[in-house]
Amino acid sequence: MDRVRRLKLLLWMPVGLGFAVTVDRFFFGLGAATHLSDATPWGLWIGFDVMSGVALAAGGFVLTATVYIFRLERFHSIVRPAVLTAFLGYVAVVAGLLFDLGLPWHIWHLIIYWNPHSPLFEVGWCVMLYLTVLTLEFFPVPAEDVSSLARVRRFLVKMRIPLVILGIALSTLHQSSLGSLFLIMPYRLYPLWYSPILPVLFFISAIALGLMMAIFESHFTAYFYRRKPETAVLASLASAARWVLILYLVVRFSDLAARGQLHDLVGSAWQVKMFWFEIVVAGLLPVVLFSISKFNRRPGWQWGTAAVGVGGIVLDRVNVGGLIDLSRGAALYLPSWQEIVTSLAIVAGAVLVFLFIIEHFRVWEERPVDPKADPKRLPELNPVGETWLGAPVIAARIKYSLAFVLAAALAFSFLANPKVEATGIVPVPAHRARGDVGKLPGISSRVSFNSSLTPSPSPASGRGGTAKRWVRAKRQKATAIPAGVLYLDGDLTGWGVTFYHQREVERNGGEKSCAICHHMNMPHDQNSGCYECHRDMYQPTDAFRHNWHASRSGANLACIQCHEAGYPRTSAQVKPCTDCHKDMIPPGATIQVSSENLVDASGEIRRLITPGSVVKINTYTAVSYVDAMHELCVGCHAQVAEREKKPEVAQCAECHKGKLNYSDTVNLLYQRTAVAGRRVVMPPPPASPGGAAMKP
Amino acid sequence: MCRERISRSRSGTVETVAFTSLRLKRRFDTEAWIEFGRGPLFRLCFALLVLGLIRILALTWAGIFDVYRHSPDKILPWKEITKKTLAWLIPVRKLWTARPVYSAISFLFHLGLILTPLFLASHNLLWQKGVGFSLPSLPQRVANILTLLVVGAALSIFFGRVLYPAARAISRAQDYLWPLLLAVPFATGYVASNPVISPRTYELMMLLHVYAGDLILVMIPFTKLAHCVLAPLSQLVTHLAWKFPAGAGDRVAETLGYAAMPTWLPQARLRARPEAPNPEQGQVIQK
Repeated sequence: MDRVRRLKLLLWMPVGLGFAVTVDRFFFGLGAATHLSDATPWGLWIGFDVMSGVALAAGGFVLTATVYIFRLERFHSIVRPAVLTAFLGYVAVVAGLLFDLGLPWHIWHLIIYWNPHSPLFEVGWCVMLYLTVLTLEFFPVPAEDVSSLARVRRFLVKMRIPLVILGIALSTLHQSSLGSLFLIMPYRLYPLWYSPILPVLFFISAIALGLMMAIFESHFTAYFYRRKPETAVLASLASAARWVLILYLVVRFSDLAARGQLHDLVGSAWQVKMFWFEIVVAGLLPVVLFSISKFNRRPGWQWGTAAVGVGGIVLDRVNVGGLIDLSRGAALYLPSWQEIVTSLAIVAGAVLVFLFIIEHFRVWEERPVDPKADPKRLPELNPVGETWLGAPVIAARIKYSLAFVLAAALAFSFLANPKVEATGIVPVPAHRARGDVGKLPGISSRVSFNSSLTPSPSPASGRGGTAKRWVRAKRQKATAIPAGVLYLDGDLTGWGVTFYHQREVERNGGEKSCAICHHMNMPHDQNSGCYECHRDMYQPTDAFRHNWHASRSGANLACIQCHEAGYPRTSAQVKPCTDCHKDMIPPGATIQVSSENLVDASGEIRRLITPGSVVKINTYTAVSYVDAMHELCVGCHAQVAEREKKPEVAQCAECHKGKLNYSDTVNLLYQRTAVAGRRVVMPPPPASPGGAAMKP
Repeated sequence: MCRERISRSRSGTVETVAFTSLRLKRRFDTEAWIEFGRGPLFRLCFALLVLGLIRILALTWAGIFDVYRHSPDKILPWKEITKKTLAWLIPVRKLWTARPVYSAISFLFHLGLILTPLFLASHNLLWQKGVGFSLPSLPQRVANILTLLVVGAALSIFFGRVLYPAARAISRAQDYLWPLLLAVPFATGYVASNPVISPRTYELMMLLHVYAGDLILVMIPFTKLAHCVLAPLSQLVTHLAWKFPAGAGDRVAETLGYAAMPTWLPQARLRARPEAPNPEQGQVIQK
């Protein structure tokens, strides 16, 4: 038992590390714990935990078939450990899957919401059903010790043959459907691995793996519990595994030949080397070593060969699962240490449960007994060597829990420190529409040029005097966006809508038409752009600009000019806007919409508000820029579409034509970069001190 | 040294200061070490603290269950245990019994020791920054007073141990060390958070504060400081120990001449020591 105790101490450490990572993963999400991304959504957890876990569990159905269907009774002694291995393998698969699923609490969805076209649907159902079958197959073992479960046990033993058959059927489906998952991606998987018969290859290799896993597991426990290994029984398993492996190699190479991929076997790509390494480790080496009877009679060689073979086929699963595509995607994926630790922890946890069950239930003919655990035995006090921590059970729990705690704390210290608090919605300030409304018919006296586009004297736009530069920039812009046309991309990303302002003015009746779109209820409202109140692209904003009123460059008001002195300066103790802005419609007022501004020359109503209706101005909270634009444009467009029987007028693509790269003034280029952080071809930054004026 | 002199002669002391601080920075980057101490090292120590305390509590409970399961005598004075445990946890009445001064100092010591680190505003800021939530904060003035109380109480406890022969007789080396070590983060934290005292030593004080704090956190679950979670179990463990093996407590009492006084009688009745041991009387009471 000394070996087992040391092994358990060792295994508790990855479990402790895994505990910390588990907390990290389930509190802070996949992004905090993994290097997975949208480009590489499947990583180590799928390749190793799920695909290899399922493959490692293949021993269960292979050995139940051997013993209960083919009646080869000499393998009876290893069937229970094999079923236990399969059971724990599947539990580990489910655990690994829960880590990998983005929303693990939705795992029950596939029971209710069926998608029978998906291989994942098949995989999910097979895991569920086969885990149930394995539970029922293994349940008689722990039930032996509980007399009240005798009837259940008797029933399950009677049901054994149907259960075994069901298990074989499900395993066949499941082992191969893991291969089917990859049939969907012929261009992603390297041609040496991709094959239309991938499901068949997976199934054959799973049988070989199951046999070798049974050998490995038997030797493993024999070593750690100091039992006599069942070399003779295992040798016949090994020779069976050899034949399956030969079949696997033949099928694999014939498939390559049939698909005309043999030329790929030679090459300098690392995938080719990996392929040969995999073939040697997973196929040739075990076949050769299992064939030489001198080696096959020796427990050490048997164990080593089985370990090599198991490792090789696991490598095959990991390769297919993503390792081989490392450099083929856009992003390089290397598993994070948390992913590796979690995989180790799941394996370690499964082994610990395995050892626990072996020690507490009759998996073998007789349970392994710790000679030190004899209750009548006096404690060995060795004052020189070690501290006596108590009886073996007590000493074990002291040591193992310490290993767990130390490892978990170590992992916690390595975990990065992600913030759980959200940064909130990122404000995206809306900017003035680009372009120039030009000279508008009939309203030339009131509307001036779009002032933000008046380029600031910028040294970057060329040599020459200030006036010359101004003219050059102006000319440049004028050729870029025609006069009378606005380009509406409030966030200045270039994704916007071309708005023919002048055409709309002409269509809707000159000066009178302003109020169709513009509110005209801002103080001194003449040409206020939408962005002045709808100041954020996606969030509502207050039309009242407090800081502007208080600023010296704005209204230059002292606090007490609005807030009453001696009271807290809140929005409650403030004098109404209309005290100063006599022409403003106060919030809370109702207005009757006159028909004058809303009806165009042909008598059609342009706004969604019916003329003559009473509208209440609730607040001066402006909806987001995007909402305002959509409401304004789509409202009219929908009416036009209906009236003119042209449905396309109201469709998105009518206005959203993609990204337009209008040449901007330097000033706007700077703004754009500052706003969106996008890659904009920038002119070199100004060297002269005048450049400071250009920063947004 | 040479360059220092040159720079001083050239442009006065300002450059000298900048130069020396640059050189110091290369030798020992205090900022970085403080960041390490309250970053990864703190996480390590805090995780060890929490998991270690859970572990020691679980191990103790497991031990208690083991002993209880194996003891043939399963009758325990549960009411008495509960009463005593609560009396020790809420030391209102215990405060003025045998050693009122020591009890009062110890109470204040514990009060500051628990309240200040948890509810200090600056610590809460760190929590807010690190994990996104925090506890309510103490007013700074209250925190200052509590801190000074802890330092004063720690020194009193230390000198109490040193000066009283009876206390000295039952003290181990670590018993002298603990009050002093516990006072270190409080004293350095006080100096660091009140820069009026010594503005120049802020970094040094912070360094000592952080590392002493981490050291204490990591020591709690593995030393006698674990009584912060084990204290509520002490009465239960003591009573259980008298039962294992069965009748052990009565035999000890008999040997000591207390046969008339069963082990689970309240302390007050035990103090009324009988003149002569009377085994018959003891049996009558046990019935």
